[in-house]
Amino acid sequence: MLLNILIGLGVAFFGFVLQTSIGGINRKIVGRLQKRYGPKWYQEFLDIFKLLSKRATSHGWIFDFGVIMALGGIIATAMFMPITNNIVAFAGYDNFFIFVYLIAVGMLGMAMSASGSGNPFASIGVMRALTTMLAYEVPFMIIVLTIIKLTGFSSLTEIGLFQQASGNNWFLIALPLGGIVGILSLMGMLGKKPFETYIAPAEIASGPMVEYGGKQLGMLFIMHEITVFIEVSLFVHLFLGGAENIFIFLIKYFLTYTTLNLISNVNGRLKIDQVVKFYYKWPLLMAVTQAIIAIYFGWVI
Amino acid sequence: MASIEILILILVASSIVSYFLTKFNSFAGSVLTIFSTMFVFVSLAYYGFNDALVTTVNLLPGFTFEFTYLGAYFAIIVAFVYSMVSFFHPYFVDHYKYKNAYNMLFLLSLAGVLGAFFTDSFLQLFFFFELIVWTTMFLIPLGKSKSAAVSYFGFSAAGSFAMLFGILVMFREVGSFDITAGLASLSGTNAVLVFVSFLIAGFAKLGVFPLHIWLPIAHGNAPHPFSPVLSGALVKLGAFVAVLALIRISPASTVITAISLPYAHYIIALLGAVSIVFGTLMAIREDDAKKLLAYSSMSHGGYIIVAFSLLDSVAFAGGFYHILAHALASAGAFMAIAAVARQTGTTKMSEMGGIIHKMPITYIVYLVAIISMAGIPPMGGFISKWLIFQAVIDKGLIFIAIAVFFGSIGSFLYVFRPLAALFLGQEFPQFKKIKEAPILMLIPMIIITLLNIYTGVLPNGILGFINKIIIELGFAPLIINSPALTISGNNGLLFPALIAGVFGFGVVVAFVIFILLKKSRQVGLMDTYTAANFIHTEELLHYSVDFYAPLERLYEKYTTKMTDFYDGLANKVKELGKLAKYLFMSKYVEVAIFWIVAILAFLLWGEL
Repeated sequence: MLLNILIGLGVAFFGFVLQTSIGGINRKIVGRLQKRYGPKWYQEFLDIFKLLSKRATSHGWIFDFGVIMALGGIIATAMFMPITNNIVAFAGYDNFFIFVYLIAVGMLGMAMSASGSGNPFASIGVMRALTTMLAYEVPFMIIVLTIIKLTGFSSLTEIGLFQQASGNNWFLIALPLGGIVGILSLMGMLGKKPFETYIAPAEIASGPMVEYGGKQLGMLFIMHEITVFIEVSLFVHLFLGGAENIFIFLIKYFLTYTTLNLISNVNGRLKIDQVVKFYYKWPLLMAVTQAIIAIYFGWVI
Repeated sequence: MASIEILILILVASSIVSYFLTKFNSFAGSVLTIFSTMFVFVSLAYYGFNDALVTTVNLLPGFTFEFTYLGAYFAIIVAFVYSMVSFFHPYFVDHYKYKNAYNMLFLLSLAGVLGAFFTDSFLQLFFFFELIVWTTMFLIPLGKSKSAAVSYFGFSAAGSFAMLFGILVMFREVGSFDITAGLASLSGTNAVLVFVSFLIAGFAKLGVFPLHIWLPIAHGNAPHPFSPVLSGALVKLGAFVAVLALIRISPASTVITAISLPYAHYIIALLGAVSIVFGTLMAIREDDAKKLLAYSSMSHGGYIIVAFSLLDSVAFAGGFYHILAHALASAGAFMAIAAVARQTGTTKMSEMGGIIHKMPITYIVYLVAIISMAGIPPMGGFISKWLIFQAVIDKGLIFIAIAVFFGSIGSFLYVFRPLAALFLGQEFPQFKKIKEAPILMLIPMIIITLLNIYTGVLPNGILGFINKIIIELGFAPLIINSPALTISGNNGLLFPALIAGVFGFGVVVAFVIFILLKKSRQVGLMDTYTAANFIHTEELLHYSVDFYAPLERLYEKYTTKMTDFYDGLANKVKELGKLAKYLFMSKYVEVAIFWIVAILAFLLWGEL
């Protein structure tokens, strides 16, 4: 059991390092796209360590407790995440629903802490984040329902193995409409443009993050990096056939994140009600169509 | 040895005693209420779990009782909620006009509940149902509004009479009022009639779409300590009736092959799904914290209906567990709101802010309750929602899945609202003097909080009991591995204790990181970034009115559809009444002459 916990902690730490580096590389890529040099690839590490070493202000115990709960919840979620078919801390228990719902504990902690700061911008940011969540989660869950129904497993490793078996395609290809929905929902989850309404730096001063500084902000940065790791890995395992070994995982992960980042950089920002309308129009329609085709008619490529 | 008959008699006797005791000393009367409800709960739970409840009848001629696991499960949950809520009585009964009647009716309604869950005959079930309705009908108007009781009574009566109709139809075919044997031997049109009328009764009591209108009115306006009983305990009577109808009766209906479910059950599941979505959307835009929780009860009632209409043992286990999890969560949340309402005098979220600094324990109680309500691990609501999801996915019910997932995510939105508006945010100057709730009120809230966590971490003991119910209903039990603490769903394993342990470990890691770093400087709540504006009033820095305004704007014009429909119906009934009054009780001469002529014509029919 102790070994499993250590592996899990290792996965969480790996996720943090991986996402922070890839995030840095992506800043460079975006910089080049905009004809700038961009920061060094390890700039994000420097930012986080600088923040962690600074003395900050606190708005009361719930402000601190929320941050601890947020980071704790996200670390716990990451500990369940499989990286390859074999590297998984708690084999057999990497149930899809754990990721969707345990991640919510972390989100709740952050929302609590942000509202506890007493800044209205933070509350508006939380409101927008929750509304966005209501928008992207339902189409995504319908597609995952289809995948679980087709494979008969809700364990991420098993879903990955199912796609690797000969004769089966990746679900991105096997369920083309569902793949599009998956990508759109992932963009919503990551808060990429055009769905970055809840951060909106120029509009509501970074939303939930507005009051933070020092170690609290540093911990929330770590939490954010691990959250992105969980969400992108979820996509890799559900739609891109999991990973036989760590190199394949790294390639799939890097390509997924970079592609999304590039798409996001040529988009503007939607208003929050437009986000909701968008997700309940096309992605939901596509998800339901895909689910009906795949489950009731059995047409899977 | 505890006999059900004795327990009911004890409740009736103590209700009479408490009536007079409360008249002299309200505290003593309330303490008697606490002790008698606690006694009933403890004996029910102890003897119920050990199958040692005695059902013989010596003192109540005409009544017969029977021990079923189904009834015992419901009775234990309801008695628990009653006994916890009774701790609030010493602090609340003095505020009500008829304080002695409050304690008396409270105990009498519990007696009715026990009778309803343990009886073996439908006529007695109807009697006990009416006992509950009539006692609670006089409890509700002691709160904010008298008309709330009218709405409650109207829908309850409609439900009861639908059930009575069903009972009589059953009696005509079967010839007995027996609950188990009677329903099973129904056939043909009668089965459909009884199915529909029982479900009307179940829907009305549970507050499921389209019979939900009374729920926010009654929950929102009931006395503060009675709302947890209404939502946590009494609406579960509806679930009981719905279980009887959905599982025991098999109406003739074609099976939809794609999802292997009869049409009748699929339609009921769709109604449950509508209820989930409707309740969620209405809860999101509600300003009164109690009404918000009432709409959430409606949405959870939808989950229970969906679970029981899937005819699958995983779904049944989820449904039964959801009844417990929601009873605990909603009782906890309502009790926290009641405590806040006692200290501040309001339940409107737009009038409050920053209560957490004065009432931290109440805040924790509310937080744990809503985590369970939103179905987030490591609380009980996660287990039941997980089981329901398993069944929905296994059957491939896409449209019901949309509602189920929407309700699940939507519940994050509405439960967070009281958290942010009421407890967090700026601390209003008028609430800087309030105190934490008294210790006697905190005890039940803390017990409920611990149980919310227990049901989420170690569900296997309770699921073992639920398995006995499922076997009793004639289905295969849920596969649980008690030594390993795992639950097997249709497509995966769940290990709740591991999730809770890992979560605890993660929090410890985060706490260590936090504590190792430099200590922060404490600043006040008004010391915030305001984009270079100078704001000195707390109200202006507190974002709580129309919290989800951009989302509400998308659907607000459809929200009055159902109330408009019922208003229209009420108008039609009034018009019918006016017509009847005009025809039969009017003072106009022409009507009298018309009747005289009509009666003469009738009498002389054969003669002319």
